[in-house]
Amino acid sequence: MAKEKEQQAEEEGGEFAEFLADVSKEIAQRVESLDPQATPKAVEKKKTPIVAGTGVIVEWPNVADRMIEEMR
Amino acid sequence: MSVVNYGTREITCKIVYYGPGRSGKTTNLQHVYSQLPEERKGKMVSLATETDRTLFFDFLPLDLGTISGFATRFQLYTVPGQVYYAATRKLVLQGVDGVVFVADSQSRQLAENIESLQDLHANLADEGLDPRTIPLVMQYNKRDLPAGEISAIDDLDETLNFRGVPHYPAAAISGKGVFETLRSISTLVLSRLSAPATKV
Repeated sequence: MAKEKEQQAEEEGGEFAEFLADVSKEIAQRVESLDPQATPKAVEKKKTPIVAGTGVIVEWPNVADRMIEEMR
Repeated sequence: MSVVNYGTREITCKIVYYGPGRSGKTTNLQHVYSQLPEERKGKMVSLATETDRTLFFDFLPLDLGTISGFATRFQLYTVPGQVYYAATRKLVLQGVDGVVFVADSQSRQLAENIESLQDLHANLADEGLDPRTIPLVMQYNKRDLPAGEISAIDDLDETLNFRGVPHYPAAAISGKGVFETLRSISTLVLSRLSAPATKV
């Protein structure tokens, strides 16, 4: 995106264009270094393993992990 | 003012041009406006008196489009330089992210420059901002006037630039030094994206 802006700035020409290119470069450096913390990826929900047709939960350690996770 | 908002994916920077009356603050904004491509030209709001002196303030919104996924806007303001518009200057400084101090290079204006700089520091402190750390750039304007009428850059720097911030000679009337100054303050403001201005 920043490169597109730089290219666009070159096309526009002039003092404003140079300014826009510099600002774009600066923002690209800054936001890329900050962005990952600001937008954490969603945690994939685990499914509780149940034996088909019986309704019996077979992996208690996994279920406990999930309960703890959801209580946080 | 929040400079970067990850929620709305917006970056907004408020830059205020400060300085004594007739030092060239409005002229700076007029040059920036004159250089904008037609499709980017919004409205420059300028409230001037009959004698062309800024009555309230000038406001120039710069919509830079989407950069790295962020809608980016710069808002450039000037303050009225005349001593009796103190309340307006305070109002314009609210939520400021960076300041350009436009000094008049004329030797006879040195006292006005000092007074305005002191006024800036007092108003920043009133806003809860630390005058020692807020992004600041000095512009020594009117360098196009005869040498006998203006102070040397070194003298101005020694008197006004106690923080040792970047300084630029300018002749805003012809556009010289205007974008160098704007680029410098923008870089300083953006370099603080992760570090808001210190509250005092």
